[in-house]
Amino acid sequence: MVSPIYILVLSLAAGFMLSIFDKGGRRLSLTAFYGVLTFNLAVMVDWLYRLAFLHAPTLVINTAGFKAPISINLELGITEAFVLLLTNLTGLLAAVYLFKKFKESRVSSLILYLLLIMGVNGLVMTQDLFNMFVFLEILSISTFALTVLTKNSKTLSAGFKYMIAGGVASTFFLLGVVFVYYFTGSLNLGFLRAGQFTDAGMIALFMLAVSVFIELKPFPANGWALDVYQSVDSGIVSVIAVVNSAAIGFVFYKIMPLLPGNFLTVFGIAGVITFFFSNMMGLKQDNAKRLLGYSSIGQMGLLLASLVFTANSPANIRYLIIGGLFINHLISKAGLFWLAGIVKEEKIKDWTILRNNKPLLVLFGLFIFALSGLPPFAGFWAKWEFVKVLVDAKMFFVLVSVLVGSLFELIFLFRWFTNTVKEANSELEPMDPPGKGKAFSAISFGLLAVITSFGIMRFFYEFNWIQVLPILAVLVITLIDSLPSKVKGFLSLAALAGYGYYIYPLLESNLQLFFGVIFIVGSAVNLISTLNRKEQSKGFYGFLLMMIFSFGNLLIASTYLEFFLSWEFMTISSFLLILRGQKAQRASLMYMIFSTAGAYLIMAGFSFAPALTSSSALILAIENVNLPLISIIALAIGFMIKSGSLGVHIWLPEAHAEAESDVSSFISAILLKAGVFGLLMVAISYISHSPNFDVFYWIGWIGVLTALVGAFMASFQEDAKRLLAYSSMSQVGYVVAALALITHLGWVTSLYLAFNHMMFKSALFIAIAGIYYRTHTRTMYKMGGLISRMPWTFMTVLMSIIAVSGVPPLSGFGGKWLTYTAFITKGWYLQAGVLFFASGISFLYLYRLIHTIFLGQLKYEHQNIKEAPAWFIIPQYIFLGGIMAISMFPNLIIEPLNSIAMRYFSSSIQINGLTVISDLGYWNGNLVMYVTMAVFAVPFILLMLVKGRTQRVKQFNIVYAAERPESPQTTHVAHNMYAHYRKALGRLTLPRIQTFWNGVAEWAHTFGGFFRRVYTGNGQTYVLHIIMYIVVIYIVMGVR
Amino acid sequence: MISTLILGIALLIIGFYAMLTRKNLIKIVIGFSIADTGTHIIIVSLGYLRGKTAPIIDGAVSMVNAVSEVVDPVPSALVLTAIVIGLAVTAVMLSFIVEMYKKNKSLSIDDYQELKW
Amino acid sequence: MSIWTQVLYAAISVTVATVYGLTLGGIVRKIYARVHGRFGPPVWQPFLDIIQTSSRRVSVSHGNMFLLGPVFRLAGGLGTYLFIPVIFGSALFGNFSMAGDLLLVMYFVFFGQLGMALGAGQGGHPYSPLGIARGLAQMSAFEVPFTLAVIAVAIQYNSLNITSIVAAQQGSFLNWTLFTNPLAVIAAMISMLGMNMHSPFSIVLAPQEIPIGPPIEMNSGFLSILQTNRGLFAAAKLVLFMNLFFGGATNLLEMIAKTFFIYMFSVFVGAAYPRFRPEQSFRFFLKWPTVVGVLSIIYIAYLGGVS
Repeated sequence: MVSPIYILVLSLAAGFMLSIFDKGGRRLSLTAFYGVLTFNLAVMVDWLYRLAFLHAPTLVINTAGFKAPISINLELGITEAFVLLLTNLTGLLAAVYLFKKFKESRVSSLILYLLLIMGVNGLVMTQDLFNMFVFLEILSISTFALTVLTKNSKTLSAGFKYMIAGGVASTFFLLGVVFVYYFTGSLNLGFLRAGQFTDAGMIALFMLAVSVFIELKPFPANGWALDVYQSVDSGIVSVIAVVNSAAIGFVFYKIMPLLPGNFLTVFGIAGVITFFFSNMMGLKQDNAKRLLGYSSIGQMGLLLASLVFTANSPANIRYLIIGGLFINHLISKAGLFWLAGIVKEEKIKDWTILRNNKPLLVLFGLFIFALSGLPPFAGFWAKWEFVKVLVDAKMFFVLVSVLVGSLFELIFLFRWFTNTVKEANSELEPMDPPGKGKAFSAISFGLLAVITSFGIMRFFYEFNWIQVLPILAVLVITLIDSLPSKVKGFLSLAALAGYGYYIYPLLESNLQLFFGVIFIVGSAVNLISTLNRKEQSKGFYGFLLMMIFSFGNLLIASTYLEFFLSWEFMTISSFLLILRGQKAQRASLMYMIFSTAGAYLIMAGFSFAPALTSSSALILAIENVNLPLISIIALAIGFMIKSGSLGVHIWLPEAHAEAESDVSSFISAILLKAGVFGLLMVAISYISHSPNFDVFYWIGWIGVLTALVGAFMASFQEDAKRLLAYSSMSQVGYVVAALALITHLGWVTSLYLAFNHMMFKSALFIAIAGIYYRTHTRTMYKMGGLISRMPWTFMTVLMSIIAVSGVPPLSGFGGKWLTYTAFITKGWYLQAGVLFFASGISFLYLYRLIHTIFLGQLKYEHQNIKEAPAWFIIPQYIFLGGIMAISMFPNLIIEPLNSIAMRYFSSSIQINGLTVISDLGYWNGNLVMYVTMAVFAVPFILLMLVKGRTQRVKQFNIVYAAERPESPQTTHVAHNMYAHYRKALGRLTLPRIQTFWNGVAEWAHTFGGFFRRVYTGNGQTYVLHIIMYIVVIYIVMGVR
Repeated sequence: MISTLILGIALLIIGFYAMLTRKNLIKIVIGFSIADTGTHIIIVSLGYLRGKTAPIIDGAVSMVNAVSEVVDPVPSALVLTAIVIGLAVTAVMLSFIVEMYKKNKSLSIDDYQELKW
Repeated sequence: MSIWTQVLYAAISVTVATVYGLTLGGIVRKIYARVHGRFGPPVWQPFLDIIQTSSRRVSVSHGNMFLLGPVFRLAGGLGTYLFIPVIFGSALFGNFSMAGDLLLVMYFVFFGQLGMALGAGQGGHPYSPLGIARGLAQMSAFEVPFTLAVIAVAIQYNSLNITSIVAAQQGSFLNWTLFTNPLAVIAAMISMLGMNMHSPFSIVLAPQEIPIGPPIEMNSGFLSILQTNRGLFAAAKLVLFMNLFFGGATNLLEMIAKTFFIYMFSVFVGAAYPRFRPEQSFRFFLKWPTVVGVLSIIYIAYLGGVS
């Protein structure tokens, strides 16, 4: 049990002694240096343990033999210990990171570094305001000096700007301290009370608070900080960004109780504004370290805002929010700055060399994910709770700014990440191997991120292991990643079976079971197609399992948070899977941006929702929840983004097309259904608690228009996967529209369509995957005549497109029959008309798909290709089997769906033997099948009778344009097949929505580019900013 | 007390004005020093009580009624520390300027705008 | 009724419809010839054509799908016909209408078209997909007013069951949809012009110029199947229109009379009007007939209609 005063004493003593030690060799001085840093850390570990687990009382250290307020005293409570543990740890690791530098530089750097760390410790612990000023100055001066650890004109000028800005701020701080003393006669925080500050005293408080606030770099008075972040050595910057900021932030935390409410509100809003604008300006940034600077400033703003706005929250929630944001910022920002020093590339686009070092690349991803506030990292939980607090307090302006700002941050971070992973870069220069110290520090923080995530999930939320399973899957697969792909595939299949076995008893209703079949069984069959992978596919199965387990966890999630957690896991894993595609950089980024925007809406929607009263799965418990209108709208939009509804669909074609071909089928067939599942959840609550505004009427229209536009877009594609993607969009539009009917028949329809879509779209995507595997192209007009080469695949595509189109006797017709019956019964006549139109258009793209690939003229280069491998054929035929089964015996699916929907509505159909009878009509799928078989058999037999005289002719045995054609390219009608339709529609075919979103993106960047012009680079301007900022805040706060 | 306070504030403003308007780095630092000095004067003026003596217990001030006879000692103690710190900051600033001049042969702050946006 | 009786009835019904449809085709050719200033072939020419094409010594096939195309086509015609109750109250002409309602019929129409398109596609001749692309696009456009009309009818009779729809129109000719919901009938009749592919909507097959369209590579036996289907399919469509809009038929004669006049509508328009280019024809259907269709729904559903 060592008193933390020795941290200060030892640092100071060592500081003086180091230059003497150094005479005995650098080794000696370095030993002493690292010894002191380690000692600091050890003391804090010890104290945190005592305070947290042994419930030791807050430690009060009096100096000079007197009690406060006569003397200066230090306090070490659990909060201080927590902050100091992390800052000392960062300090130590940053020093380890700088090992090489410290070995070569002058001994003064070591001394300065120790003083810096001492300043931090003192600043956090001291209770005396003037002492605080002293420590602040020690911290500042040592930091100023350390900025030029690497001396060049950039660091010098940045350091100088930093100094004059810091000088101005500390002048105000000093004045504030003295005025506080003048008005209250005390400098000790333990003895100061907010009530002591009457009229003129407010000025004292104001100066004190605003100068600390300036040190925390509020927008726009923070240009100096950006220059420091950009230029100074990564190791030192990590300390400035994390350790210094933490200490000064803690000072703000300590003086907060003195500040009146209106001060705090202004500071909180200023923090939010900082967060919003720095992230917006970050959009335009292409220098890695300056970008991190923007992000740091933003994070500090957010941290301040959370300090202010959580003041009335329960203590544990407050700790989670502030502590989570803090630790998240600390780990990821320090980690990223360190990586920046390892990579040594200024421009973001040059970070591609990180690909040479896989572990560091993974680490990079981890920090980016953490910083973006994705689960399981601390920032995610903090953000979730923070949003809830903001919603409860009805601070909508703050809420929106925080969410939009976070989205900006995610955009630039993920642009960076996807660029690093995927940007085409022909000359991938080798990267200098990172020094041992550098790598050690970065890896340690990676581990710390994992440990804290685990801690929060295990101890704060007390999650069941099943909630963590998606992450475990990634870890386990990573461990066995050196096994051949096929082995991993079979193991994954087994894991999936085990998961299904485990989760089956947990499914309390048929509805869950139904989606369970789509999510788990559908995925399992789809997984067979991945067994064809020859290469090792590192990481693939981990993320695949993560995605599938997340789907499953959605079903059994019993709280909003569990649901949202699984939702985010699903987003992350699907993003990473999409990113694996060869040219998927843009596509995956777009997917991530849209998904995250959706996720934020969902998060907000859940925050608006009243608490759950039942402990069963959310999809069931939601029945009794009265969702307010705003919650319904937010959730609905969030889920509709995932299901690719019109207006927010532009991620969909890109993601489907650019993902690896065996991944696309998962995205289309299963992932989109997750959006449907979510929307269904909203609708379940809506049935019994409908607000005045008929939300689902409009959702219905959106669904209907999605179906129509999707079908049109599909018809104009040249790329098979894009065609299927738009087709998915269209089909899911039907599902959403039918769901929006909120009637029994509507839901039967919706689920029927969803199930059918899962089967035929899986089959189609896998078929295209097989074709791509053989032909290496997705462009349809480059194919043709493949029916003779790949007859099995042709059969799948044929059956599937019949099932899509709704032509009897296959299952698609059931969907159409249910759809129109449901719509007409509900009275949505025009919607039914539009859907019929969409269904007519679907013939266009379906025919295009099958014709341009399989019919027409075979290309010369495809004369000898083989049928797709069995791994592709098997799942296709399993799905075909499913389609045939429900075509032949529709009751297999209609009856369960009927019972599912009957939980919520009284049944609107009768099932009489094999005939389904609605209020309007009837349909006997079984008889239709027999009649079709019979009417098909008659002419077929007829034809067989005359077949004896039939001569089979070879390719090109036709006359075209008065000659016998020879070139398949000029004979195969495929390219721009529906040019005439395009012409007829004219300007209607312009991609307006794409243009709209491009416009949004451009505006955001333009604004970012505009605002960042305030950072002129001139130190004087920055001082002016600071002084003006103080004046503005002064006026806004109305201090007199 | 009021006059010194006004003097301090005036120095503070002059110092800031210099920092904002002078282009020469050394003049900026001088501006900073002036502002710093202004701050120190403000501190001392706040602790000054009219008609009282220095807070040193010797022949002039008896131990018993020291409290009513001396000025507040705390600001005086504070200002000493502040002066030392101000000195240190000024020294670091000037040493930066020396290095900057060595590298770029310029003392104008306008020549150090490489980092921006 | 045993299944075999039903099959027997269906066979009779199909034969009658085929013969009738083919004869109608002959009449149409006669009419067109007269309009063109020729005498034209005899009325029974379609039968002769079928005999002629099916007795060719050799047929040429481009592959299995090509072979199946005509089979799909005829199966589509047969199925469409068999799912429609032809004569109200008649067991002989009741067909397999118990398998499904109006929606089944509407979608079964596509069965043959899709199969034929696939078969023609394998033919490898560039004109086949060209014609198909035009045909599909035109189909998607004319289905819009037709669907709207059907929806209006479904609202009007609160049923999609063809038999009930016909039943509701019995009594007086004033009960026909034609008089109770004229807007729907107008929309549907205009879309029938597209369905029948007479001028001005004949670009899909582009008769009389260079041969073009899906059947271009079809020969001998394949062609004969297609020709047979042409008769049957025409009859099926006419019967459907008669049932939905013109009160159905209670006996064969009534059926023949009504369908004849329904058909003559598109024949007369076809003989009198020039041909649209593809994009003109899509635009046409998506404009006025669609508006009329929407109006018919508004009239029936929201303005009280006939009730």
